[in-house]
This record gives sequence, structure tokens and C-alpha cells, in this order.
Amino acid sequence: MRIHFWGVRGSIPAPGPETNRYGGNTSCVSITTKADALFIVDMGTGVVPLGGSLLPQGFGKGQGSATIFLSHAHWDHIQGFPFFAPIFIPGNTFHVYGNARSSSMLEGILEGQMNPHFSPIYTLKNLGANIEFHGVTVGETFAVDGVTVCARANPHGSTTSLAYRFEEDGRSFVYASDAGYPEGDGPSPEMLELYRGADVMLHDCTYAPEDQETRRNRGFSSFTEAAAAAVAAGVGKLVMSHYDQDYADDFVDECKVRCRAELDRLGGADIELVAAAEGLELDV
Amino acid sequence: MKVRFWGVRGSIPVPGPQTNRYGGNTSCVEVLPRRGDPIIIDAGTGIRRLGQDLMKNACGEGKGTAHLLISHTHWDHIQGLPFFHPLYKAGNDIKMYARQRDDTHLKAVFASQTEHLYFPVPLAALKAQVEFRELVEGQRFDIGGARISCTRLNHPWIAMAYRVDVDGASVVYASDTAPFTDILLEHEFIAKPPEPGAPLRPEDKAKLDDMRAGLIELSRSADLLIYDTQFTADEYRVRPHWGHSTPDDALSIARAAKVGTLCLYHHAPARADDAQDVILADCRRVVAEASDGFDVIAAYEGLEVELGEQP
Repeated sequence: MRIHFWGVRGSIPAPGPETNRYGGNTSCVSITTKADALFIVDMGTGVVPLGGSLLPQGFGKGQGSATIFLSHAHWDHIQGFPFFAPIFIPGNTFHVYGNARSSSMLEGILEGQMNPHFSPIYTLKNLGANIEFHGVTVGETFAVDGVTVCARANPHGSTTSLAYRFEEDGRSFVYASDAGYPEGDGPSPEMLELYRGADVMLHDCTYAPEDQETRRNRGFSSFTEAAAAAVAAGVGKLVMSHYDQDYADDFVDECKVRCRAELDRLGGADIELVAAAEGLELDV
Repeated sequence: MKVRFWGVRGSIPVPGPQTNRYGGNTSCVEVLPRRGDPIIIDAGTGIRRLGQDLMKNACGEGKGTAHLLISHTHWDHIQGLPFFHPLYKAGNDIKMYARQRDDTHLKAVFASQTEHLYFPVPLAALKAQVEFRELVEGQRFDIGGARISCTRLNHPWIAMAYRVDVDGASVVYASDTAPFTDILLEHEFIAKPPEPGAPLRPEDKAKLDDMRAGLIELSRSADLLIYDTQFTADEYRVRPHWGHSTPDDALSIARAAKVGTLCLYHHAPARADDAQDVILADCRRVVAEASDGFDVIAAYEGLEVELGEQP
């Protein structure tokens, strides 16, 4: 699997020179499988440049297909959807998996985004592509394009956010964004099993711990909580992402240094640390 | 008065080095009368930084008042609102104004923006006092010493243009709108552009003529006209039904209304800074050659324009 980071910011896009290096787009990651299948995880504004990059391929001619996995439907994880160019091209097919008890609930959530008060698209039915919705059953393992997928729900403020594990040929990538563990607790035992031994784990690193103290009710992790989860799960590589919208590049640099120290302190010296940035690619 | 630009982008925020100079935040303009509370037009992502700025003063103590005029509720004009810090401070008084809708109360529209599936803090949990006032086109009213007027624009689901007169000066905000020539945009979904040269229905043409006349009247002798110029002529040709204008359309209204300065606004998300420079230069050349007698500027984040009586 090859992972490409398109949006690494949390809550709201943060344009400006101070975010040029890590990027100001909201959450979006793509996974290209060994057989060249495309997965998209979350559709923050990062999905807009991803969409542009797909047009020269089959997606520009209505011959593309991809699978979209949504952690949850907060705006910063779906706001790029109406601007994802391949969705307008008849012939393209998208399977959308998300945090809902049924496919119609999931469709309803995305339909709400297209409401004519908010969007000139009016309804999902006006999008040209064929879109199929699939509610995810938490804890159940399923296969997509030869990749084994499993999702579990993390607490996230007043709602929950799905963490996904993708496995291909014994290699694994975990996507765990917007994880608001109860104070003093890490991930639940079931969640820790989902994270266990992942070769690469993207984990919510919205806050530095000093900001987390005053904002715990918002349902995000600090990088110290991410480091603790990575050590507890014994992952190979921890990827920081979902940075607070007010964190300038230099502060993210500082967070990375402090996260490294935290990993070392907790006995995770052998865990590689990466701070996600737009345009970064990782092979799993 | 002072006019400050906090977000100048249309459709969707565009972070990245290619938008560093004009800015990547979506629509938000602040009109600051010499005395009195700020009048904010639109709540795209630019309003986040404006909110942080307001929190340094009365809003930070829970003693602030802000008036928000919303052109329409498409995402790029409201998506910053949940990140407008004064809403989360008890004691602040936030007054929202937008066009009355046929089917839904304004408050219900904004409440659905922050339903729990989409955002963690619902409208009902905001600490500030939030009031909604629905407007009909042509209405005039006062905010402190400022006189507000409005007229409708040619945009899917209908947008409102606003004029603010205060301190002996005037600013008009006309975004989003298509020109008033090829297609009437109201509530119906229009999937495809009309055939080039297809005649308008007489009743549609009459509506568009009225709309254009209304906008010229609203903009009459304004010191500053802020205008949706998202499209180039080529882009407009394939997307007349998207509800945006070109610089030539803006020039035509600016000329007819005899404004002081035309401000290009609501830049396309794909427009890199260098391309926007070219559009501005072209527009200035047209104005110079035609001896139009007004200035043209292009909005960028951080731009401040002082108008009227100076303190």
C-alpha cells in the first residue's frame, strides 16, 4: 500500500504562509493498493487536489472507481466532497463506507450537505457518478479490492469517529483520526487490538498537551496521547496528523520534537515518527 | 469607515503557497464604522481570524456586538461561522441578517449547519445571544448610524447584495451573481447551460432587467463596489448557470452606477496569485483605455480601504 497525504489539518482549513509546509487543507488520505485500486480516507478539502490529480487518469473519462472510507461526518471530514471533480463525471463509481448504522443513514448525512440552502448541487442525485453507500458494522472484517478492512469507533466529543485498519499481504495501515479518549485512559482494549502492531498508524495529534488540558471536551488527542497509544499498540511508525488550525508550521515542528521525546520516554525508541504533510507519500 | 477583507475566495478555501498573496479563505468582509459596532458581510472561513481580532476587544469581555449580513447560505459564505469565537462568549450580542426564505426560517437553516452529525456545538448551545432577522429585497434599515439597503442577485437559491452608508461614505457588496443576460437563476436546479443564443422567456428577461436595474440603483455613486468576478470569459461560457460573473460584467455595473472604485472579489479557487495579477492588470487596462474614471482593485486578505470622513 502507498499512502498519500492530501489534507492534514483539523477542524477548518487554515490557508496562509504560516501553513505552507505542512499544509492547510482538512483531512484526506489516499491509499493505492498493490493492484492499483484507490481508497480515499476522509474527504476534507484535501480531496479537492486529489480529485484534480485523478482527472488525467480514467476518472477524467468516466472510467474510474474508488472506495471512500469516512471516519465521521464532521465538516472537516466531508467538506471537500462537493468539490471532488470525479464525482461529477458520469461513469465513475464510488463506494462510500461510513459511520452509520445503515447505508440510507449514511446517504442521508451526505445528502444534507447538498441541501439547496447550502449547495448549488441541491441533491446527491445531481452528481454524475454512481455512488453506493455502505454502513460499516463496527468490529466486522470485510474485504475490498483484496485489502482486509476493519473499523472500530473511538469516542469523539458528543459523537464517535471510526478508526480503520487496512491490511494487505500482512502489511497494515491504521487510520485513527479524531480520537478523544477519556481523560487518563488510552484507547479501549478493542481499539488497542485494532491498532496492534500496525506497520504505519496515522493518529490524531490535534493538540499539544498544554492546549488539550483546556479543550478535552472537544474530543481530540494530544501528541502525548498519540505517543502512548503507539507504544501500547507496538506500532512500527506513528504518523502525526489533524493539527489544530492555529498551529503554524514552526509549532508543528516543535510538536514533532516533543512527540519524539515522549515516544522515547515511554519506551518507544524504535517507533519511527513522521509528521504528516500535504504531498508526503509513505510505502507500507 | 474602514473596510477590511478577511476572506476573498469563492467556492472553497484553498490553502497553499499559490494563494499566499491574495489569500485562500472564503468570503468575509468587515465594515467598521468610525463609531459603532462592526458590520460583517458573510461568514466564510475568513471570519475565524476576524473573530480572533474581535476577541481582543469588547467581544473578549462578553460585551461585544456584531452584525452579520449574509449574502446567502452557500457553504463558502457561512462555513466559518462555527469558528467565530465571539459566539462562544456569554454576554456578546450577535445579530444575523439574511434574505427571508419561502420554506424555512433563517434560524432553522443555521441550526442545521451545526446538527450534531456535522459539528459538535449546536446553535442552541452557543453562549452569546444570537438573533436572526429576515430581510426582503428592497428593505432599508439602520444599524447604529449606518443605513443598510439590499437588493437581490442572480444566483441559484438567490443571493442578496448589500449597501452600507455611514460616515459620509458607501460600500456595496455584490456577491454572488451571474450577469443579467443569459439565464435567470432562482430556485430551480439547472443542470445544463442554455444553448448559446437561445432566447430568454420574456418574463425571465423582465426579471433580469429589473434585477440589473436594482443593482445599479443600489450601487449608484458608491465609493467602493465589491463584485463577484470568479470567472474569466472562457469559464463563464461553459458555466453560465453557476451564478458567477466576469470582470467585464462588474465593469458594466460599475460604469452604469458611476462608482468610485471597483473591487474584484470572490476569486476562483483554482486562481493562483499570478493569474489573479493578470486579471487585475487586464481590467485596469480596459478602464484606462475607456477613460472610465474609476479605479479597479483586487481584494486580498488583509486589504484595508478607508472611505469617507477620517477620524
